[in-house]
Amino acid sequence: MNPLLAQFLAESNDLLASVDEGLLQLERDPGDPELVNEVFRAAHTFKGSSGLFDFPELTRLTHAAEDLLDAVRGGRLGLDSGMTDDLLAAFDLIRGWLAHVTTHERLPSSAGNDAAGLITKLRAPLGGEPVAHTQATVAAGVTVIDAAPEWMAWFDAEWLTETAAWLETTASTMRFVRYTPDSDCFFRAEDPIHLIRQVPGLDKLGVVQPEQWPIPEEYDEYVCLLSFVVATRAAVGELEYLFRYVPDQVQIVELDAGAITRHLSGEPPLKTEERVVVAVTEVVDSELAADARAVLHAAERILELAPAEGAHLRSVARSVSAAARALGVPEDLADAGREAVGAAVARLLAEAAPAPVGALPAAGSPITPAPAAVAAPPEPTGRADDPGGQVGTKVLKVDQEKVDRLMELVGELNVAKNGLTFLADSAEEEFGSRVLSRRIKDQYAGLHRIAEELQSAVMDVRMLPLSVAFGRFPRLVRDLSRRLEKTIELVTEGEDTMADKDVIEALGDPLVHLVRNSLDHGIEPPGERVAAGKPPAAKLTLAAVADGDAVIVEVSDDGRGVDPVRVKRKAYEKGLITEEELESLSDTEAVDLVFRPGFSTADQVSDLSGRGVGMDAVRASVEKLGGSVTMRSKLGQGTVTRLRLPLSMAVTQVMVVSVAGQRFGIPVDLVVETVRVPAAEMGRVLHQDVVVMRGEVVPVLDLARALDMPWTGDPAEDRRILVVSVNGQRVGLLVEQFHREVDVILKPMEGLLAYADEFSGTALLGDGLVLLVLNMKEVLGLAARVA
Amino acid sequence: MPLELHDDSATLVGVVTVDEVEQLAGWLRAAKKPRVSLRRCNHLHTGALQALLLFKPKISAAPTDAFLAARVLPLLNGGSGNASHKGNDP
Repeated sequence: MNPLLAQFLAESNDLLASVDEGLLQLERDPGDPELVNEVFRAAHTFKGSSGLFDFPELTRLTHAAEDLLDAVRGGRLGLDSGMTDDLLAAFDLIRGWLAHVTTHERLPSSAGNDAAGLITKLRAPLGGEPVAHTQATVAAGVTVIDAAPEWMAWFDAEWLTETAAWLETTASTMRFVRYTPDSDCFFRAEDPIHLIRQVPGLDKLGVVQPEQWPIPEEYDEYVCLLSFVVATRAAVGELEYLFRYVPDQVQIVELDAGAITRHLSGEPPLKTEERVVVAVTEVVDSELAADARAVLHAAERILELAPAEGAHLRSVARSVSAAARALGVPEDLADAGREAVGAAVARLLAEAAPAPVGALPAAGSPITPAPAAVAAPPEPTGRADDPGGQVGTKVLKVDQEKVDRLMELVGELNVAKNGLTFLADSAEEEFGSRVLSRRIKDQYAGLHRIAEELQSAVMDVRMLPLSVAFGRFPRLVRDLSRRLEKTIELVTEGEDTMADKDVIEALGDPLVHLVRNSLDHGIEPPGERVAAGKPPAAKLTLAAVADGDAVIVEVSDDGRGVDPVRVKRKAYEKGLITEEELESLSDTEAVDLVFRPGFSTADQVSDLSGRGVGMDAVRASVEKLGGSVTMRSKLGQGTVTRLRLPLSMAVTQVMVVSVAGQRFGIPVDLVVETVRVPAAEMGRVLHQDVVVMRGEVVPVLDLARALDMPWTGDPAEDRRILVVSVNGQRVGLLVEQFHREVDVILKPMEGLLAYADEFSGTALLGDGLVLLVLNMKEVLGLAARVA
Repeated sequence: MPLELHDDSATLVGVVTVDEVEQLAGWLRAAKKPRVSLRRCNHLHTGALQALLLFKPKISAAPTDAFLAARVLPLLNGGSGNASHKGNDP
C-alpha cells in the first residue's frame, strides 16, 4: 500500500474517534465554542487529507459535514440532535469506507449513492438562509470597532474620505480585510488572488508589494511576497467563510464612517519609509530568518567566550554580514574590528529578536479588534524550532505486533535464564565444582534482575488505560437509549486505571453485553421510574479500580434490579435447578443463576440483548481471561455486576505438581492450600473420596484418573492433596508430588492440540520441559464424566 | 498549455497555475525585453502575478477577464511599488 495512504488510514482512526467524542460532548454542551472548533478542525483535517487520494465521495461528504460544522462554529446554526445524528451517520459511513479502503485500497462502489443522501441531509440546514446572515450582521453591528487598524493606511485617503462620507450618509458599514498569506503558502496549494477573486462585493483591492524586491538572481518564485488589503460590502460571515482555511492569515474588521474618519484625522497615513521596513521584514523567509538568528546567537557566544582575532574574527564577521543580509538589514563588516562586530550582532539581535511575528507590527499589536468582527484573534505563533524548549514528551507509535514480539522474547529470555539454575546444579553434582556452581548462580542473580526489569518495562508498554475500553460506550448508550426511549446518564469512573492491552481488548465484548443488558432489562422506561419514585433519568456507571494484581470493573445501574423469586421460578421452569433448590437457594445464589447457560428472564427477546446467550457468555469469556464475574442486586434499586480481571495475562503464576510422573501447572489464583493427609484419614461418601478439613467436607478427585493416566500411589504413604477453589467450590486434587511456583508465559493450545479444552495452554520451563497448564473448570467436568 | 513562450514575447492563456510559475519566472529572468500578452488569460496565480510585478514586462495586450482587467492590470502597468493606490473608486 502507498505509505501515504497507510498513514492517512492510521491517522483517520484517531480523527474519527475525536470527531465522535466531540459531537457527543457537543450535544450535551452545545454552546462550547472550543468543542465546535475541535470537531470542525478534525473534519477539516479529514477533508484535507482525503483530497490527496482519489476518493471524491469522501471529500464531498467531509466537505458537507465541514460546512455544517462551520455554520455551527460561526454561530449561524444551533446544533440539534437531528444534525448530530446526521453528522455521526456521515462519520460512521466514512469509517465503513475506510475499512473497505484498508483492504481494497478503493472506496466501495456504492459510496456515491450512500453519500448523496447524507450530503443532502447535511446541507439541508444550510440551504439559503438570509436570516442567518442578517443575524450575523446584527451581532457584528454591535461590535463595530472604534479604532481602525493601522493597515487602513494602505487605502488612499481620498478614497477613504469619499467612502466615509457615503457610509455616513447611509448609516452603514463596510468590511475591510487584511490578508497576509504565509510566505510558503504556494506549497499548500493556496492561491491568494484566487481567494480574493471570490470576495463578493469587492470594492477596493490593494496589493501590498515589498518596497525592495529581491534582485532577480536571488528571487525565489515560490515565496509569496505579496499581501492584500480589501474593502468589501460582503458580510463578515461571508468573509469568514471564504477565508475559513486561512483564518490566521486574515484580519477582518467592520468599520463605520466614524471609525474611518477618526483614522483619517487621528492617525496620519504611514510614511513610505516606515512601510518599507514593515514590508521587507514581514516577507523575509521565516526559516531563513530563524537560521540567521541562530548564526547571530552563535557569533555572540563566540565573541563572549574567545577573543577572536585575525582570520577567526574575519570569518565571524563574514557570517554576521550574511545573517544581516538574510534579515534584510545589510551590514558591511568586512574589515570591522572585534567591537564593531559585537555591536552589529547586538543590534541585529535586538532588531530581529522576537521571531517573525514580532517583526510584524501591522498584523499584531495596535489593533484592538472586537472578537466577533475578526475571523481569528491573532495568536503569537511560535516557531516549532524555537529554542524555547519542547512541550510534552515524544511519543512513538509502535505497531502492536512489535510489542508482542518483544514480550515473547522476554519470555524466552526468562526461560533461558532459568536454565542457568539447572546448569549450576549440574556443575555441582556432575562436575563436582562448587565454586563454578556459585559463580553461575551469581551470574544468574544479575541476569535475573535485568530480565525482571526488562519484563516489567515491556509490560508497562503494553499497559493501556481503561478509557480505551470505555471509549465506545458514550456512543452505544446514546444510540440505545434513544432507540429504547429511555433517558440514561452514563458515568465513567477510574478511566485512568491501567491494564494490559490484552485484558482491555478482551474486556470489550463482556462489557458491551453487560451494558446492553442493563439498558434493555435493568433500566425502566421513564414512566415506570417516576411511578417508583425515582428520577426519570437513569444512571449507568462504569467504574474501574485497581486491586493489587487485578483490576475490578463494575457496571452498575439504578434500574429495577433482579427479582430473585422470578429468577428461581424461571430457572426451575427451564429445568436448570431442582425443586429442592427452588426452595433452598438464597437470594444471592438466585441472582447468580442468571449466569447459567440457557437462562434468560426477558419475557420478550429484543434485538438488543436477551437471546439467552447473554450472561453465561460473559462469565465464560471473563473466566477465560482468568477473571471472575459476580452480580449483586437489590430488587427495585439496581444491579451491580463486578468483573475482576488480572492486570496482565502475559505472565501467569502457576503451581507445578506432578501426576503419574508428569508435571502439570495449576494457576496459583485457584490454589487454596496444599495438605498431606494420612491415608487413614481419607473418607468415602457415595463413591466419592472426601477429606474432612477443619470441619468441612472436601471432595477429592484423583487427578491421574481424571486425566486418564495410569498411576497407583503407595497405599501406606500420606496423600498429597492440593485444594483448589473453582466457582466458589472447594475441591481437593490428589497428586503425586508438589513442586515450586513459577512465572510462565502461557501460550494457548493450538494446532493439533487445539481441541484439548482441559489445558489452558503450554509453557516452557527453564530445564526445557514443556509444562501443560490445566484448565481446572474443564478438568473438574472431565472428572465428573469419568466418575 | 497556458504559456506560449517566445524569445522576448509570451502569451498567457487560460488559467495560469502554480505549476507554470517557475517556467514563467525563468523566462522573465532570461528575456531581455519581455512582452507579455494577457488577452486570453483568465486567471493568474499569485506567484505568476508576483513574478510579473517583479520583472515588470511590458503588457502587450490587456486581459479580457473582468477581474484581471479591473484589479490586476493597473498594478502591472503602474510599475511603481505603490500601485495599490489605483483602482476603481466607488
